[in-house]
Amino acid sequence: MGQLNRWHLLHVAFRSFFLQASWNYKGMMNMGFLYAIQPGLDLIHPEGPAREAAYARHLEYFNTNPYFSPIVMGVTLELEERLARGEIAEDIIHDTKEGLMTACAAIGDGFFWGAWRPFVAALVLTLAHGNYLATPIIFLILYNIPHLYFRFQGVFWGYRLGTDVIRLLRRFQIQRARLALRYATVALLCYLIPNHVNLHTTFLITYLPMEWFFLGEKLVQGVGASLLVGLAALAYRARIDVLMISFLLMLCALVLYHWGILI
Amino acid sequence: MHDPLWSAFIVALIGGIVDLDSTATWQLMVSQPIVAAPLTGLFLGLSTGQAAAGLKLGLILGAILQLVWIEQLPLGMNVPPDAALASVLSVALGFLAGHRYESYVEREVCSTVALLLSVALGLLGRSLDMLVRRLNTTINLWVERSLEAGKVWAPAFGHTLGGFCTFSKAFLFCFLVAWLGVEPLRYFTQSLNFAQNTGFIVIQGLLPAVGFAVLASMCIQSRAEFRFFLGGLALFTLLPASIWLAIPLALATGWVLTRTADGAA
Repeated sequence: MGQLNRWHLLHVAFRSFFLQASWNYKGMMNMGFLYAIQPGLDLIHPEGPAREAAYARHLEYFNTNPYFSPIVMGVTLELEERLARGEIAEDIIHDTKEGLMTACAAIGDGFFWGAWRPFVAALVLTLAHGNYLATPIIFLILYNIPHLYFRFQGVFWGYRLGTDVIRLLRRFQIQRARLALRYATVALLCYLIPNHVNLHTTFLITYLPMEWFFLGEKLVQGVGASLLVGLAALAYRARIDVLMISFLLMLCALVLYHWGILI
Repeated sequence: MHDPLWSAFIVALIGGIVDLDSTATWQLMVSQPIVAAPLTGLFLGLSTGQAAAGLKLGLILGAILQLVWIEQLPLGMNVPPDAALASVLSVALGFLAGHRYESYVEREVCSTVALLLSVALGLLGRSLDMLVRRLNTTINLWVERSLEAGKVWAPAFGHTLGGFCTFSKAFLFCFLVAWLGVEPLRYFTQSLNFAQNTGFIVIQGLLPAVGFAVLASMCIQSRAEFRFFLGGLALFTLLPASIWLAIPLALATGWVLTRTADGAA
């Protein structure tokens, strides 16, 4: 362990929650990154030109996945210590930070935005449609388990392992996890579509005998919803905007209601 | 809570805090519609003694908004529509304008119109978000100049100022919409006749189809997966609608198919 102890690193991890408060078009998360590692830099570099130079160094462009940013922060602080001891040149910090932030963005965005959030959303939507009032709390707890794990462990991994942290991340088999989550999301959609797109028609009441009504209702609901989703998916693949598709759907709903087909 | 200014203040406070979570700070996903909308409904419901009704309205609108913008991601330069503000405002407008109606149909119509209006407000929220980001760029330039002049306090100050701008934007926007938007929405709902009203309920039932379609397009990447999806749809059309059947089956499917894919590789 270097100059920074557990509490200093936890302080950095806590500040990383505010990473994007000053997100801007020039440096993106640069001010947030500097703000987060500032307590560490203040301990490593004495007051004066060395500290000012460190601040200026970290005002350069920075952009990564926010949940994986503490990993980059940990590695950067470890490198800053080595720079203060005169073991490395400034360029190494710049190059390492750039490489690491790109890798973390690819891994983090792919996992959190591309797989975990859609999966948790689909999972809690099944609960929301069942009117479970605790749905938002379940969403928050479930979503934040990996988030907080990477957020708080990341800074320790980065600081202790340096650039070897990438080898550690490989052990998580994130690609495999993404695949599993994608399949599970599709399976949840198979449940959600026939059961939670509400499509009711008057024909069943008019023409079906009572004993067949519920089976008929379920079949019409399932097949109708699947067809509707299929049409919307085709429109989405044809690059029609989601809001335009929603608008067309609303128009169809009103027309079909007006003709007495949907109720 | 009949004072419109007081209810607008509560909505603005929730909007400001929730909007901070969407990109600026925390990112615990309180800003996701499925959380932000019920949260707004709960607070507004508590202040009128109708907590369960508020929470339920929030869940319904939150679930729809969650699906409408499910593919919008805050990646790189992309600024997604402000789903957090849309969620807060849809519930705020729907609840404040509708909670005094006696009939279920009128309340439902009110919430559907509020939902449609909030989608437009979400797009306006994106423009405001871009404005704040441009303001942050100016702050960034000021920080760089100040640091060169030896002011080491400038980065922390500039960064905090950025967060303050985000909060103020959301607070003011929500305050104005909740203060000025409720009465016009009520008049508009009253002006609709009954026949059109139930048509609005049909809309609310069908809207999730768009979100499901987007999610399916994101997740299904091969013909084999598409066939598996069709089989699943047929299965769940016939099976009884039970989450205790669906969730374990989904998790087992994810596990088994990933192992099969590993074996094939």
